[in-house]
Amino acid sequence: MKTFSVGDWTKSRLISVVVALIFCFLCQLAFGGDGLKIYLRLLFSLVGIYVTLAVSLNLINGITGQFSIGHAAFYQIGAYTAALLGSTYFSNMANHSSLLWLFMAMIFSAIVAGVAGFIVGLPSLRLRGDYLAVVTLGIGEIVNIIVKNQKSLGEAYGLSTAKYESTVFAVVLLAIICIAVSRNLLKTSHGLAFLAVREDEIASSAMGVNLTKVKVTAFVLGSAFAGAAGALYAHTKGFVGPADFSMDTSFLILTMVVLGGTGSITGTTCAAIVLFIIPEKMRDMHDLMLGVPIGVAIGIMVGVGMLKKIQDTFHGDGKVRFGMNIGSMVLGIIVAYGASKLLCTIHGLQTMVNGQLFRMPVLAITLVVVMLLRPQGIFGHNEFSWSWVQKLIGKKNVPEAEVAA
Amino acid sequence: MTTLSALPLASVDFTTLPQQLVNGFLLGAIYALVALGYTMVYGVLKLINFAHGEVFMLGSYGALFTSWMLGFGPGGNEALTGSWVTLVIMLFGSMLVSGTAGFLIERFAYRPIRNHPRIASLITAIGLSLLLQYGGQIFLLQGGKQAINSKVNPYADDLTFNLVKPDQKLAAEAATYQKRVDDAQVAKDKQFEHEPDRFNPSPLGVSLEKTLNELKEKQSDITNKANLTAVTLKIPKGKLIMLTAILGLMCSLWYLVMKTRMGRAMRAVSVDFNAASLMGINLNTVITFTFILGSTLAGAGAMMYSTFQAAPIDSFSGAAPGVKAFVAAVLGGIGNIPGAVLGALVMGIAENLVTWSGYSSYRDAIAFVILIGVLLFRPGGILGSNKVEKV
Repeated sequence: MKTFSVGDWTKSRLISVVVALIFCFLCQLAFGGDGLKIYLRLLFSLVGIYVTLAVSLNLINGITGQFSIGHAAFYQIGAYTAALLGSTYFSNMANHSSLLWLFMAMIFSAIVAGVAGFIVGLPSLRLRGDYLAVVTLGIGEIVNIIVKNQKSLGEAYGLSTAKYESTVFAVVLLAIICIAVSRNLLKTSHGLAFLAVREDEIASSAMGVNLTKVKVTAFVLGSAFAGAAGALYAHTKGFVGPADFSMDTSFLILTMVVLGGTGSITGTTCAAIVLFIIPEKMRDMHDLMLGVPIGVAIGIMVGVGMLKKIQDTFHGDGKVRFGMNIGSMVLGIIVAYGASKLLCTIHGLQTMVNGQLFRMPVLAITLVVVMLLRPQGIFGHNEFSWSWVQKLIGKKNVPEAEVAA
Repeated sequence: MTTLSALPLASVDFTTLPQQLVNGFLLGAIYALVALGYTMVYGVLKLINFAHGEVFMLGSYGALFTSWMLGFGPGGNEALTGSWVTLVIMLFGSMLVSGTAGFLIERFAYRPIRNHPRIASLITAIGLSLLLQYGGQIFLLQGGKQAINSKVNPYADDLTFNLVKPDQKLAAEAATYQKRVDDAQVAKDKQFEHEPDRFNPSPLGVSLEKTLNELKEKQSDITNKANLTAVTLKIPKGKLIMLTAILGLMCSLWYLVMKTRMGRAMRAVSVDFNAASLMGINLNTVITFTFILGSTLAGAGAMMYSTFQAAPIDSFSGAAPGVKAFVAAVLGGIGNIPGAVLGALVMGIAENLVTWSGYSSYRDAIAFVILIGVLLFRPGGILGSNKVEKV
């Protein structure tokens, strides 16, 4: 084990900050253009925003173990705060110095959403598990219904505000800050307290962990990041409406956290990127015969059923097991292909349906399948670390992976 | 009066309050059927079955398709009217569909992960609910929102009850005006018989016509005033039959849970899962039975909701009643069967009162507000016990 001196520590910190800033500028250069790049910029910004949202929800759900499924509420509060400030009170300033204004809007929104998170965090002291889930779901719905009925918030029509091009820089920066805060939190004794609360509330409170403080801190931090992400969303799109923050948004963020691995920052980030891009690409699928989704569903059922059976009953050699798993996946794909070909010949199933309708079912199936096969998520509690990469390449005798968060 | 009208509540009409309470009670009775499913599954498995609202949705589709099979579909015979047999067949159709759905959901989604942490089941439930909503959108929503043909219900006429008679003085005045209107009508008709040109009458005819119209206006004014002091109740006969059916279902449920072997097993499992299995109770059978029972009741509720409340059906139509029934179950104390019924009645009445007071756009929010209030101040619910978790 190598010991770090203070000088080394400061140096490595400075270097990582500089690298992060350079990365932000590069992204701004790559995606911040006009013309044909507008779609790409929007997509990239939204991916960054969803990474922030997922990692901030992971702070509440994965790291502290408070099952919150109303994250869109804080996102919405942040977005509307920024839109309201930008369109009415500070419209002059917003026109002049956009980047400065963007950061101010992010801070404002983060504060407002953080206060909301504090208010929601308080009941979480009394509730646990599924009850907390339902209450947070309810708060998300209540916020949305109130916004829909407020004249000053544009009712169902929404609010429009200034649109900036420099959001890519801010989006990447926010995502990096969010990831860094979560990661660094886990390296401190405060972070251990968060993990302890997740594992066992009663035991951790017996060990002197202040449950109230930990839970409320997690809620305030998570919702403040979501609020800042909301501000960025408002200024990226130039428009906010209640439909963007419905229950589906909450479920999308939740799916990202659950799929990546509750508690794993790496997993959540990867899942956020993948799960945002796949449904977005599915918008391109226009017409699809009704037989295809049924065939694919049958294929998924066969594949998942076999995988589950192998998982439950087969206790043999690892390699054989791996081969059987791959085999059942291949079989599932073959069955899906064959069944959809076969079903499309039936007259009643030749109706054309819009491919866009499949965006939410895909998310739902992903959730159910992941829960059936790997309830801890794809990454489990593991994090990306350099020693893990070294191990993967083949170096032996590497010190054990860092904190299994 | 001017100060009162500044208040948002001043616009409400208190003479319609009893009607709203009765409507709320009838709606709550339907919610009770759905809430029982939530509460029984929670009692046995300690799982909030988020997909229960979607089982309800499938049940209403079951009722819809059964009614189509009986000839009430689009392009069916116009002259066909329903009878009680139609309603009973529809009830069984929807109960069959949702019972099957409940069985399949338990067998293929919840049973494989029963031994995993409870959060995993919860996420599966959310995933299933999304899958049924959006998957149903693809397969069931080709023709937009559907509604059950109102002709299936032959008992649509109202029973009217006069709770408070109209004000005596006003009623008497209205009667005298009615008499004067009649007299004026007779006088006018007599005069018009002798008029050569009906459309261009003499001055006498014009004045008679004018008096008649003035009198008619005054008469309708006073009759309205008199009616406003009266309190009447209008209940469709169908809804009374529905209430009887719900009571019957609840009595049979009570018998099933309290008096039969399977009911005893269910109660034992809800007290202690592991001890019950050690005593030789087959857990899988009991849990499957509970799911089927709860889903069947939800199906019955769905048929009544879409037939007697005439609710439109689409693949998302189960979400709102599902949430309200869930709140009802929590309100009464989740896992507690009489509590679910009580909570559902409170929910139904609360929802109607919110609409009555002029805030109908907040109708769906009231459920969550009640839920949060209950969980903060009495987490055990009205009839539930306040247990503190111990190690």
